[in-house]
Amino acid sequence: MNGDFLALLSRSPFPPESSRSPAPVEPLQATTVFAFHCADGVMIAGDHRATAGNIIFSDKTEKILELDSHSLMAIAGAPATAFEMARTLKTSFEYYRRSQLQPMSLSAKLRALSRLLHNNLPATLQGIGVVAPIFAGMDPSAPDGRPAIYFYDPLGAEFEAATYAGSGSGSGSIKSVLHYLEKWGKPPPAQMPLPEAVNFANRLLMTAAEFDTATGGVQPDRQQFATLKLLSRDGIRSIETGDQRQYWEEAPR
Amino acid sequence: MTEEPYRWLEAIGNRREYIREQLKGGTPVFALSRPEGVFLVGVGHGQSKVFEIYDRHAFAALGHPVDIEKVRQAAIEAAHMEGFNRSPGDVTLRRLVNFALSPTLKNSFEQIFSPPLMVESIFAEVGETRKEDLLVRVHFDGHHRYERAGVAVAHVKPETEAQARDWLERVLREDDPLPRVFAACLTAYDALVNDKPVSELEPVEPAADGIPDKTIEAALLDRRQGGNVRYRPLEPGTLRG
Repeated sequence: MNGDFLALLSRSPFPPESSRSPAPVEPLQATTVFAFHCADGVMIAGDHRATAGNIIFSDKTEKILELDSHSLMAIAGAPATAFEMARTLKTSFEYYRRSQLQPMSLSAKLRALSRLLHNNLPATLQGIGVVAPIFAGMDPSAPDGRPAIYFYDPLGAEFEAATYAGSGSGSGSIKSVLHYLEKWGKPPPAQMPLPEAVNFANRLLMTAAEFDTATGGVQPDRQQFATLKLLSRDGIRSIETGDQRQYWEEAPR
Repeated sequence: MTEEPYRWLEAIGNRREYIREQLKGGTPVFALSRPEGVFLVGVGHGQSKVFEIYDRHAFAALGHPVDIEKVRQAAIEAAHMEGFNRSPGDVTLRRLVNFALSPTLKNSFEQIFSPPLMVESIFAEVGETRKEDLLVRVHFDGHHRYERAGVAVAHVKPETEAQARDWLERVLREDDPLPRVFAACLTAYDALVNDKPVSELEPVEPAADGIPDKTIEAALLDRRQGGNVRYRPLEPGTLRG
């Protein structure tokens, strides 16, 4: 036994895999996600919108998925493929930890996501199942381990982001602001305390929504906030709507 | 030769005797349904005897370490495939034991030309309430018995195993804290491995600071714990009251 859940899965796929053909329907897309370092760890954020062409399919989509106690995946692209990848990774990490009696290393987790993206090549080339995720993770057993941000291209290449990463149709505006503030901000996002980082993330998504119709579902005036999770040495903390509302109301106007 | 019925029966009888002989040096493991969750205790010679299987499931066993590992891997594979293909809530101990593990153990036992699986085990599932807890005592030949919200002991001698289980049920009260439950398990362990009559066991004292040359393991399938994963290894030092 080598603890490889994908190898186990390939022995007995359920349901049986069938050959894929181009879908005649407009593919669903999930946008926009991003992550940045803040004073308390890594803040990873997503809006709630999923679109199919010019149709808003949902404004309640959860795009930040917890894979284990110290791993998060933010999805942008085809939700069907992305959710399946997240489910496969989640089971793979747990299967490895239980069967091998030790947690999977961070490098192996990053490689596992690369493999899934690479295996998705046919759908990517057809343009119906493109996924460009962001991964935030850390190795809690490493004494000097700190949360890190990684981003991928749809073919599976992995890159570590020194300060921030963004993906999805609205990420262009967000990355521009993040770049500007990292360079000239006082404080830069990496030094922002939690309440400031939370408000900043919501404002970034509202900014992106101004220029991208596929970004949405974040309207603090209507009590709609982003999906926000903080990764630190202590693990993952979901920033609940109540906390986001409180930080929003306490923020200087 | 073994095609003849009576030869086959003889071969199975010999095999059963052989396995029991091989298991003689094994030390008991315990699982108890408690208000906090399902508490598991094992004492070994260095190797692990208590394991996590899935979100709400655990396994404790005695026997040949390689065979324990085979059963453990089979249980983990079956649980994860089921949880992935359907949902984590569809992974139930009853289905796991009835359809995956028990038939495998029975087949292994009856394949008289291949090495047997020498494992005596307990599988546990924690529920939202104590009434929903499920313990299963699984024998090397695939026989199994369900214990709902009770106590399960796995040992090499069926008679003393039953006596130890009855004693634990009798001496432990509903509101006993885990250190007392732990101490009771170690008292029963001492009686079982040293052939002391269980009926003459002393009242439960705080657990001693370890057993020479042995490794004590304890774990809790914690029903109070948030999230999906309920298994929590416990440091024996924290259970010494």
